[in-house]
Amino acid sequence: MGKMVAVHSYKGGTGKTLLSTNIAVTLAKHGRKVCLMDLDFRAPSLSTLLNVSKTECWLNDYLNGVCEIDKTLIDLSGRIGNQGKFFVSLANPSVEAIRDMSAKDRKWEMRALGRILSLRNSLLNDMGFDYIIFDTSPGLQYSSINAIVSADIVVVATTLDNSDVEGTKRMLRDLYDLFEKKTELVLNKIMYDDSLRAGKEKLQSLVKDTYEVPLLGVIPCFCDISRAEGKIIFVHEKPDHPFTKILDEIAAKIEKT
Amino acid sequence: MSNQELLGKKPLQILEKIRENLEKLNEKMEVMIELQKHRRKDIQTIPTDAPLDVMTLLSMPDHLRKTAMTVCRLGRATADEIAQQTHRARAVESAYLNQLVVMGYLKKERHGRKAYFYVDKEGQG
Repeated sequence: MGKMVAVHSYKGGTGKTLLSTNIAVTLAKHGRKVCLMDLDFRAPSLSTLLNVSKTECWLNDYLNGVCEIDKTLIDLSGRIGNQGKFFVSLANPSVEAIRDMSAKDRKWEMRALGRILSLRNSLLNDMGFDYIIFDTSPGLQYSSINAIVSADIVVVATTLDNSDVEGTKRMLRDLYDLFEKKTELVLNKIMYDDSLRAGKEKLQSLVKDTYEVPLLGVIPCFCDISRAEGKIIFVHEKPDHPFTKILDEIAAKIEKT
Repeated sequence: MSNQELLGKKPLQILEKIRENLEKLNEKMEVMIELQKHRRKDIQTIPTDAPLDVMTLLSMPDHLRKTAMTVCRLGRATADEIAQQTHRARAVESAYLNQLVVMGYLKKERHGRKAYFYVDKEGQG
């Protein structure tokens, strides 16, 4: 039985897209059949990141009920060396589509939740996917909460920025807890020296005391990632980079969860 | 069908009907008990046929959210099936489900002796 994983955060710029893409590709490289979905309809980024401009249908069309999910799937397995199966389903990046998605009413959002929940049957059960990874919008957006409600695991990306810490704490208490979600935290953009000095155990107890959830991983601030300018799938292009090793550990933990 | 068979069947049908009516009555009583437990005023202000979206789920009391989320996940289910998922008693789930029907979030459909609860996605809007 496959799993649905939502990657979420309180604030923007915490590394959700970086994390979700690289977790998806790492799982695929571990031989899994993975689908990465862009649920960030307000600021779609996967089509640019993965350099895909055309698709038979967008994920928007599936949620609008005009096509089935298989029509939105794009097979990018060839890009990662055919080690596993890597599919994507993308949010339409056109301004018109963003405007359309942000004007949806509560009834539409209710139907959208039903369609996201039914992916468990269509993708995981019928099409044999092992993982669906949702890249989401930050904060309390409808599409993100729909993903959180549907997911088996929520991975929360956070930095040590003070407003992010406080917001993330509130979100853990007032959102994930209410939905009884299994939540794991990834600390991103940690200054390398700090993480070395503090040591893994100290960071783990800090996270446990502050957020009361398990720590899935710590990602130091890598200039190489900034330098890549979001143009490459990091774990694929840089297999020996420390970031890739960390993502390997994160993916392995998700597989055990 | 002989006269004897007809005579034998009629009391059986009557008894079945009585049992069905008792079950319906029981469900209504369970709702009334729950309404008493969880302050009636919270529930009466909500319009019927309200969309069960995530923000609504968030604003619900914990005990109803658990039931409503399970219905969302299963799509369509009996109180028994919901109880298996939530690990609460069938009678409790039945009461919560009927309460959600009263609030307009769920629809209920009877097939023989079984009652199915579901989110009415098509009928709204």
